[in-house]
Amino acid sequence: MRRLRVLLLASGAITLLASVGVAWATTGATTGYPQPKVAVPATIQAPFEDRYVLTAVGSGAGIRSGEMKFEFEEGSSPQFLVGISQFYTYGPTGEIETSLFTFYPPKELAGGKGLGFTVLKVGASAQYGQLTEDGELRLFTPEGDKVKGELRLHGGGPWPVEFKVLDDDERYAGSPPPAKQIHESEPSKTGWGGEPSEYEGEYELTNGAEDPTAKAGTLGAAIGVAQGLGVKGAVVSSGSMKVEGNPPVATVDLETGGTDRTFTLTDLAWQADLRVAQVHNEGPDSPPVGRFEGTGGQGLVKGDLVSGHSVYKVEFQLK
Amino acid sequence: MRSILTFIVLGAVGVLVVAGCGGGGSSSSGSSGGGGGDFASGAEAACTKANKAIVALGTPQQEQVTQYLEATEAVIETLHKEVAALDASGSAETAYVEGLATAIPELTKMSNAARNENFDAVRELSAALVEIKLGELAEAAKLKSCAEVPVSES
Repeated sequence: MRRLRVLLLASGAITLLASVGVAWATTGATTGYPQPKVAVPATIQAPFEDRYVLTAVGSGAGIRSGEMKFEFEEGSSPQFLVGISQFYTYGPTGEIETSLFTFYPPKELAGGKGLGFTVLKVGASAQYGQLTEDGELRLFTPEGDKVKGELRLHGGGPWPVEFKVLDDDERYAGSPPPAKQIHESEPSKTGWGGEPSEYEGEYELTNGAEDPTAKAGTLGAAIGVAQGLGVKGAVVSSGSMKVEGNPPVATVDLETGGTDRTFTLTDLAWQADLRVAQVHNEGPDSPPVGRFEGTGGQGLVKGDLVSGHSVYKVEFQLK
Repeated sequence: MRSILTFIVLGAVGVLVVAGCGGGGSSSSGSSGGGGGDFASGAEAACTKANKAIVALGTPQQEQVTQYLEATEAVIETLHKEVAALDASGSAETAYVEGLATAIPELTKMSNAARNENFDAVRELSAALVEIKLGELAEAAKLKSCAEVPVSES
């Protein structure tokens, strides 16, 4: 009987996984999940039936970004929700890996706070279709298009998570934006130092490397694009930074492999020698695409500037 | 944005296909005429067209890298066919043609890695393109346009 249940779960997960990034339909993609032993009123589950993008996650979870959806199992009576997520996680050596999870069965959280689900990991290297329990996802009652919650995985956590409900026509096609990493000791002081005069002004890049495209002829452009990719640190050949304004904003110009890139850093914050900021690709009002995290003091700022899948290792010195 | 890039990519490849046909014609005249001068003028013209096609691709966003690399691969393949059809007379010219031939499978690997969203691999594989030093080979063969790095404004 237990074997049959595992088979049913696996069958349902495979069907559901096939729909990720392809259909994202609001109904009809989940099949094969057995009726849960404990029923949760459909009215409590209904507010969670949606598609989501991960917007913030505790940094200890090692999750870069992710998408998730919940839908009612097709033909279930009483109805019950099943969830599926595709998380992009940082591997042990920094590379990005894809992790697939399903969320089943639903249970009501105490005090009517929301819904909890067992996290089922979909094995890639184990038996085909194998599902193993790997933690718990707790989602609190949605507030507008935001849903906060807690995630436990691999015996760790709980880590805070925040999701945003996606509009019907919103698609990330398997490339969701990086979620804000919530740090346990997030710097809380505005700016990059005690006084604006300590950090405002023009900076020059001090760790520029030789331009790899310089002798590449027609291949130079492709090399330039490629050198700007990857999480291990793109080659930066030159750059500058200007910090100004109240609240302070940093404009960073970098040349990577013959390609000029401009980033805007907002929400500058500091604590002791820690320096952090949100990274934007198209001005301070555009959606954040990553985070700057490093150290600084006495006119020096150095660290990793993350933009999407790219990491730029930079060192700036105030002129 | 994606559809615009696709349009540009298709347009660039289309221009190259047309250009490739034209290049074939000039190469036959180059072959009949023989001599390094014909090679140089034919290669310079082919490189100018290739550089224009690459510039037209612009600077891709993360999700457009696969299309960008596929288009670049098509451009370099066409460039190689055109230049290989010319009458390379010296070792420097031959080395340039061989450099182009070496680049094609490396670009294929990079496109494959991008398709799998393994962007670290794309970056690491690009080291093989750097090693070719195609610009230096072009300079040695006195091919000014071929030594230039196409720079996109966008």
